[in-house]
Amino acid sequence: MKITVKVDPDLCIGAASCVTIAPETFQLNEENKAWVLDHGTEPNGSTYERVLEVTEDEYENILLGAQSCPTLAIFIYDEAGTQLFPEM
Amino acid sequence: MRYVIIGGGITGTTAAEELRKIDADAEITIVSEEQHPLYSRVLLPHFIKEKIPRERVFLKKESWYEEKNIIWLRGERVEKLDPKNKFVQVTSGQEIEYDKLLIATGGDVRVIGQDVRGVSYFRTLDDADHIVQLLQERKSDAHGVVYGGGFIACEYINIFEKYGMPATVAFRGDHFWSAVLDDESGKLINDRILQGGFALIPRATDMALEGEKELEAVSFGDKRIPCSFLGVGIGMVRDDGWIREAGVEIEAGVRSNEFLETNVPDVFTAGDCAQFHDVIVDRPMFVGNWMNAMSQGRAVAKSMMGERTPFKLVSSYATNVLGLEIIFVGDAEKAAADEVIVRGSSAEGGVTQVFLRGGRVVGGTMVGRNADRTPITKLIQSRADIGNRAKSWENSANPIE
Repeated sequence: MKITVKVDPDLCIGAASCVTIAPETFQLNEENKAWVLDHGTEPNGSTYERVLEVTEDEYENILLGAQSCPTLAIFIYDEAGTQLFPEM
Repeated sequence: MRYVIIGGGITGTTAAEELRKIDADAEITIVSEEQHPLYSRVLLPHFIKEKIPRERVFLKKESWYEEKNIIWLRGERVEKLDPKNKFVQVTSGQEIEYDKLLIATGGDVRVIGQDVRGVSYFRTLDDADHIVQLLQERKSDAHGVVYGGGFIACEYINIFEKYGMPATVAFRGDHFWSAVLDDESGKLINDRILQGGFALIPRATDMALEGEKELEAVSFGDKRIPCSFLGVGIGMVRDDGWIREAGVEIEAGVRSNEFLETNVPDVFTAGDCAQFHDVIVDRPMFVGNWMNAMSQGRAVAKSMMGERTPFKLVSSYATNVLGLEIIFVGDAEKAAADEVIVRGSSAEGGVTQVFLRGGRVVGGTMVGRNADRTPITKLIQSRADIGNRAKSWENSANPIE
């Protein structure tokens, strides 16, 4: 499945729960905010938003990472742009 | 199976959610002191600073508990635990029987003796609502005082900055976290607060409040500060009489092994109130951060179900004061370290302390040096023998590896 994962750097406080749970997708930068990675790599450089092709298991883990964020700074959208998390 | 969870915060609610995932038929009860469904305390500063609307702090809807068939006893505290007959008694007198019990009560704020209008604490959503109200009602010449030198004090400073409210920051040590941070790290924080236009009163003692109904001034010895808003952040206490009386071992927190089991059969503990055996740093740890609280909620549910796996996590605290990032990772207790390596300086704009024990890295503090966080975390996690490499880290140009 294809999803878009976005970190809002204004909400992110560097609690690093996402990095602990889903290190292939999230990594802290020097500003103590989480970049979004594509399976551990950064094609086209560092970014807070990325479209990812993921398996069901990978999606579940990224969702767990997003759910664990104490400031709900991680947003996940499906291909049609519908927000999957946080639930509206 | 009857699971009773004392505490409706992130630990207790996560545990309930996990238990339900594994066991569709179990009877699960959450006893919560608060009236609100689960919300994120970490989001409260964002709410006060108007980065998000109030409804965004909630992590669960009111209907969630019923949907998950979880009994949600709100506005109740436990007054008695009888581990022999396996029941707890709550404030209203109701007795609740359990097969497995989880103590996830977090902590209460330490309060000062006096209470007049204008004195505020910052732990719960109700506290946040109170702070918002005080800010809305403040007069144009209002002055604030922050009392404390830790995480909550940082939040108050950031809030006062956002609202353009002049304030004085008073704390008991020479600098913030005086038991953990070295003087250089402390100086960085003090300097940042001063640059932000705040006044500082280090070594503040003998606090006294003036004002009959409303706060008029706060004094520390002969220093008197007229003010209408006092933000207090001087640590946590715990209402643990009922836990002690039940024979559950308590030191700094409720003691548990690496499976989050207490010394009393079928009684577990997790989150901010738990002092658990940490297998990564090889000693009991008492940790009060979100990552630990949530992860332990998940782990303890498995333990309660009989799937005993040791809890393993290098958790961290991260905050900032006026944009200066402050991070604590792992076991950053000086008294428990063999050696502390310091790199950087206040002149360089960043200081890191690396805590060593038994030839391994066990913890770190970073003030204005975020880049050291990931390598330190990885070294703690790996439990690698660092040989004599640590000395080279004193040169802040050398990487930590």
